[in-house]
Amino acid sequence: MRKGKIIGILIVVVVIAVAVYSIVVVRRGFSARDNPSWLESTMAGAARSMAYPSSAKQMQSPLPATNENLMAGEAHWADHCALCHANNGSGDTVIGKNLYPKAPDMRKSGTQNMTDGELYYTIQNGVRLTGMPAWGSAGDDDEDTWKLVQFIRHLPELTAEEEKHMESLNPKTPEEIQEERQEQEFLNGQSEPLKNSQPMKH
Amino acid sequence: MKKILAIPAVILLFAFLAFAHGNEEHVIGTVASVSPNSITVHTLKNENKEVAITGKTTFEGQNGPAKWEDVKVGDRVVIHADKDGNKLIAHTVRFSTAQPAAAH
Repeated sequence: MRKGKIIGILIVVVVIAVAVYSIVVVRRGFSARDNPSWLESTMAGAARSMAYPSSAKQMQSPLPATNENLMAGEAHWADHCALCHANNGSGDTVIGKNLYPKAPDMRKSGTQNMTDGELYYTIQNGVRLTGMPAWGSAGDDDEDTWKLVQFIRHLPELTAEEEKHMESLNPKTPEEIQEERQEQEFLNGQSEPLKNSQPMKH
Repeated sequence: MKKILAIPAVILLFAFLAFAHGNEEHVIGTVASVSPNSITVHTLKNENKEVAITGKTTFEGQNGPAKWEDVKVGDRVVIHADKDGNKLIAHTVRFSTAQPAAAH
């Protein structure tokens, strides 16, 4: 009887705490600029670990780790992934840092400690309730994705020269190409600042 | 009892639902002043724009990667910055000592 009473009191306390927290949160509103709370991160992390089939964790790349495959992965990353994840995998982009949850720094252990199979599965299947879409289909034979996995492993050692090269591979609109050309001409002394001194907003 | 269980369930559901190009500015001109914390750019609109420098800011001169100390007053500069309220925070600073093209 006494045990039941204690459990009852605990439940009431938890309910009150959750209710108060919810009222505060609802009054404050929600923004994707916030960082997920510890509770959200923990629950999402647990849910995510369950998302990988046990077979996926053991998957191995059928491709050799050649420089050619690494370069292909780098080009693919610059074209498809860098918009959110940044060329260096930091996630420090306008989109990446304003997502909820934010794009992770893939150079760090949270990503680098995943198995190759888990990385492959994440790219192919995406991550629910995040900005990460499913890029592929079922199966373990998408060579482009395995090349990306090889490149993700390389992210912690990415050099400034590689990063610079990747900038030339990032997708650009005609306006961005023109803007880039004008900025370079200005830096080269080929045009006067007057033409380009206006702040350009994106 | 059912009601007691339903309340936290609804609240938790709400919490789950909650779980469920931005603002970049290019500042172009000549360097009016430079310090470890900021660069002031003089644009030809006769405006001085101060852009903050952080540890994440990257610098690139005519010969490749550089440091803030390499930036000199009078250099041409193109800064890509993020807006944080009224503040501009540089993420890339490209600069050169190129002189204006000679008039013909």
